[in-house]
Parts: sequence; structure tokens; C-alpha cells
Amino acid sequence: MNAFVKCFWLVCLVFSLRTPLLVSAQEGIFLKEDEAPKAVFPDATSFSRRVIPSTPELKDRIKQRMGKTPTSVWEDSYVTFVAKKGETILGYAVIVEEIGKHRPITFVVGVGADRKIKDAALMVYREAYGGEVRDRRFLQQYKGKGLKDPLLPYRDIQNISGATMSVEAIGRGSKKALALVDLIYSEDAEQK
Amino acid sequence: MKNVIVILSMLLIFPDICAAQESDIATEVRELRAKLDRLEKKMADDEAQKAKRAEAEKAAITEQVKKDVISEVAAKGQSYFGRLIEQTKVGAYGSMRYGTSNLDDLHNTFTFRRFVLTVDSPIYERLKANMELEFERFTSLELDKKLTKTSGGGLTSEVALEGTQKSEISLEQAWMQYDINDWLKFRGGAVLVPLGRFNINHDDNKWDLPRRSLVDRGVPVLPATAAWPELGVGFLGDIPIGNTGKLNYQWYVMNGVALNSEIEQIGQTRAGDTTKLAYEVKLQPTRGTFSDDIKAGKSIGTRWAYSPWLGDEIGASLYWGRYTPDFLPSKPVISFAFDGKKTWGPFEIEGQYVNTQWSGVHSVAKGLAQRAITSSSEGEVGDVETEVEFELANLASRKQGYWLDFRYRFWPEVLNRTILGSQFPNPQLIATLRLEQVWFSGLINSIAFTDGSLTEFKTQQRLLNRYTLGLTYRPMPLVALQLAYEYTRTNQGKSLSTVTNYLPAKPGEYFQNAVLMGLTFGF
Repeated sequence: MNAFVKCFWLVCLVFSLRTPLLVSAQEGIFLKEDEAPKAVFPDATSFSRRVIPSTPELKDRIKQRMGKTPTSVWEDSYVTFVAKKGETILGYAVIVEEIGKHRPITFVVGVGADRKIKDAALMVYREAYGGEVRDRRFLQQYKGKGLKDPLLPYRDIQNISGATMSVEAIGRGSKKALALVDLIYSEDAEQK
Repeated sequence: MKNVIVILSMLLIFPDICAAQESDIATEVRELRAKLDRLEKKMADDEAQKAKRAEAEKAAITEQVKKDVISEVAAKGQSYFGRLIEQTKVGAYGSMRYGTSNLDDLHNTFTFRRFVLTVDSPIYERLKANMELEFERFTSLELDKKLTKTSGGGLTSEVALEGTQKSEISLEQAWMQYDINDWLKFRGGAVLVPLGRFNINHDDNKWDLPRRSLVDRGVPVLPATAAWPELGVGFLGDIPIGNTGKLNYQWYVMNGVALNSEIEQIGQTRAGDTTKLAYEVKLQPTRGTFSDDIKAGKSIGTRWAYSPWLGDEIGASLYWGRYTPDFLPSKPVISFAFDGKKTWGPFEIEGQYVNTQWSGVHSVAKGLAQRAITSSSEGEVGDVETEVEFELANLASRKQGYWLDFRYRFWPEVLNRTILGSQFPNPQLIATLRLEQVWFSGLINSIAFTDGSLTEFKTQQRLLNRYTLGLTYRPMPLVALQLAYEYTRTNQGKSLSTVTNYLPAKPGEYFQNAVLMGLTFGF
């Protein structure tokens, strides 16, 4: 048995020597605001930032667009980016927040010009459990989803066992981003 | 002479002019002196005011600095502790059940299975702590202690203990974790032993049936009953494999399971006006101590799970360590498990197989005989009979078993217009079929020893089956209402009580039909 204990401490030592850098862990900050739009639109060559204040009217219209899906938190304002490649608009990146089980999850949703999700990426995860929602294999499920899709675990999203609340939060936030893009940027385009 | 005469003549002729000139000069001098006095006074006043102002400014600056320092310290304190308190989250999960049974001694009853308080806190970046405190079937615990004068001289010491049936308060987890990176996290404290998939994921509200499995709880096949924590340290982490794969591992060194004593004190009145006081000392495998270990040598526990893509996982785990206390021969328990989950849309299959071998059970019985000398001793004083009994419980050379859950999740749209669906964004119904089997080899039936020698050592081979069919309604992910039918059966003619730790079956009661209704929640 002592051999096992020695072996354990030896492995501890080896691990500590082989770990040159502290890199990302389950909870923490994974993307800063200026990195966020690039994470969901890697092909874009320029981004223009636009902050949209959240007014009671805007909330009501987002609520209408989201249908039965309730939000757990309303932002004071929405930080959005228009992603362009040359002069072509690739889409819109929206930073949103939703409560997982106890704490807010901050993430960016990239919505294409076709009003479908291009990609999503986690910016800040604060929950003690359920960090698997950050994995690419989870987030890639949202690609191609639109406002009319349920974006719910066991419906059109594969759940993560033990992280159902976080999975639902990502779905709610994605719907909020889709609704916002639909309201703000579609109307802008129509007005032009 | 001539000049003197002229001056004198002038003085005599113009005496007023000279006097007037003298007076003007004196006045001027006085005025100048007064002016000088005023100037001096003004300067002195100005100096005094300047000094006063400087003093006041100095005092103000000192006060401001003091205030700034205090507010800075306060702000820092508030930002750290305030943030810590704000980010520390208290949660809980709990479950209750109503069960019916065909067993004579098991009434139809409500049972508050457990209420577990959970706290998690991010102490600092990458450092976090977590704890779970369980109250199992617990209502109250009262202790009373008195030392009083005895009338007529002497002292009386009284101790009273009042508790409730089958109650337990238990620390299920209490650990600190340092996230070095995704694939290397250090965890130390009371950690859940990573043997199989249930123990590390045991919250009642995550499961769809209102009773835990035989392998993990009802027998158990695990070396100790789930939820099973041990005090130790180790590493865990996730390693990405390819685009969609992931390898998860946990590896700990711990105090480990040990044969520990459970003392039962019995007071009995009997026919014939006699009474009996009995002490039954059961030596049985229990989770390791959180105090000084009662055995030399530590245990290891490890689980490696590969998930090729989201929703699917296969795992293998191992537990190995000495289970005998220092006063018995050194013998190890080795336990290994395989588990997995497969998802096809709304269908899921999840299962776990565990095989536990307690080595040297016969030697352990012999060692106990040598130490305890006599398994049972009796004495009588007047009408009071006293008895002390030692026994080895819940030990078998080998226990192995599995549980296999088949689940189907669905939600008829028509229910959206009912109370079940109208208020919730994603309600679900889950139909579950669970199959369970446990095999016992060399299960201790009875042992006896006298004068330090083993006089009786009987074992048996047994089989235990259970089939459960359930339907669960989940309005929210953390809340479930459960309904289940359960059929449990062991070898014909044998009692279920000798192979389970929850069924008080009489001799010969070898099967049970039960209907269970459960409610479980978390927040």
C-alpha cells in the first residue's frame, strides 16, 4: 500500500513539473469582450460595436419574439457587433447573460444574416458544476437554429447530465440574441 | 556775533512760526506711528490667520487621508468578503416517498428519505470549496445531561438521549479544489469515491425512480453504502480527444473503507417477569473514518470514463485497500466497476456493474475470534439477564451485481393545455424500466466463537433480483414526481432481510411487491 501512496505523490510531482501554465478550468473567464465577436465569426475582417440600451419597449418585443421561453435576467444594455468581411455583412454577434442554476452565464451568440445561429461561445462561466456547456461538442448543436426552434434539452438539444439548468440557460440566451437581432438589425435593414 | 544777533532777532520777531512747524512734525510722526502700528497689527493678524488656515488645512488633509485609508481598506474588505458572500451559493435537494409493501412488518408509509444542504463557494480564482450535509430520515436529536445531588447524600449523573428512527446526519462531501487546468485539478477533503457512475452523481432529484439501486444502496455491492465519501486527496480532469471525444478521470488516495463497530443497545421485557439487557456489536464495512485511521495503509480509488460524443459514455473504475482494522489480520477489498450510458434521441440506456471481493473473510472471522474471545456471553443478576454479542455483518467473499435503466422521455402536446404543462417551458414524462441483479458468494450466514476459537462459520450463495417500472413527471429539471412498481425476489424460502439492508422481511419472506410514489426536488 505504501508503494501506492509513493506512486501517487510521484505522479503529483510529475504533473506539477509538467504543467508550465495555468490554462482554462471549468469556471472562469474564457473570452474578453473584444475577443468575443471573433470567436463566433472567425472569417470576419472587421467588427463595428454597437450598444443597444434595453428599454421596457424592447423587452416587451423580445418577450413576444421568444414566446413561451422565459428569460432569467434582463441586461441593462446589449453589446452587439456587426461582423463584416470586406463590405459584406456576415452577421451579428450579441453578448447575453442567463442564470444557470445559481449564477449568470455570459456568452456570445453569432447570428448570421439569414437569422440562424452561426456559432456560440462561452465568455464567463461562474457555476461550480456544468462547465461542459463550454465544450465545442455541446455548443455546435446550436448552429443553424432559429427563433422558431425550441432550443431545449431533450427536444432539439442533447442534454448534459447534471448540467440541465446550464443547458436551458444557453438555450434561453440564444433565443434572446436571435430575437434582438431580428428586432434591431432586421428593422434597420428594412428601413434602409 | 552778527549771525547770532540775526537769529535771536528772528526768534523774537516770528516765535509762532517756529512753534507751528514743531507741532506739524510731531503730528506727522504720531500719524506715521499709528499707521505703522496698524500695519504691524494687520501683519500679525494675517500671520495668525495664515497659521490658523495652515493648521486647519493640515488637520483636514490628515482627516481626509484617514478617511481615504479607512474607505480604501473598507472597500477592499467589502469587495473580497462581499464578493465571497455574494458568490457563495446555498442549495439543497430532498426527497420523500410513500410506499406500500406486501411484507408483514413493513407498513404503508411516508418516508422522508433525505434532505441535503449544499454549499459551494469560489474562494478565489481557480480555488473553490464544496460541501453537502445530509439529514437522512432525520427529525430531531436531543441530548440531556445532569449532575445532581441525591437526596440523603451522594451525586446522581443522568444522560438522556432522544432521537428518531433510522435517522442520520452525515457529511457527504466537504472538499477544496484547485483548478490547475482542465485536465489537472487537485481535490482534497471528504470526496466521493469514484466507483461506478451512481456514487459520484447521486443526487436524488437527478434520478427518475424513487429508490436507489441495490448495487449502490440496497445491498450494497459497493464496499460502502452510497453516497460514499472518503477522506483523501487526488486529481481529476478532462482531456479532449478529437473533435467530439472527451476522457474524464478521477484518482484519489484515501483512508478507505474499514470494518467498524456498530453497537446496538437493547432493553427487553419478557414474560416471566424477567428483563434482558443486550449489547450487539456488529463489525461491518463502513466508510472510513474522518479521524485517525483505524488501520495501516491507505486505499486508492480511480475512475476513467470516455465519452466519444455528447450523451454517450463508458467508464471503468477500481477501488483497492485494506479493510481490516489493526487488531485483525491485514486483508484487502478490491472492487471494480464498469458503467455506461447510451442515448438515441429520447431513448437512453444507462447501467453499472460492480464486483467486490472481500479477501480472507474466514481469516478475519478467526482473527475476530482470537481478539473477542467469545462471540456471545450471558450473565444473570436476579431477574435481569445481560448479554454481549459480537458478529460480522454484511460480509461476503464476493458480491457482484448490476443495474440497467431503460428510459424513454416524451411529452404529449395535448398536456400543454393542462395544469401539467401550461406553466412550464419544458415539462417531461419519463418512462423507466430498471433491471437489477446481485449475486452473493460466501455470504456469511452465521459465525460463533468460544475461548478464542472459531466454532461456527457458515456461508451461503444467494441471488437477489429486482424489477422496477416507473413513470416520472418533471415540470422542471430539478423537480420530479415519481410513480413506480417494484418486484424484489431472492432465493425461494430465504428471507429478503439477509440480503438487503432496507427490507425487514421475516424468515421465508422471499419476495416483495411494492408501489412507490416519490417526490424529489432541488434548488
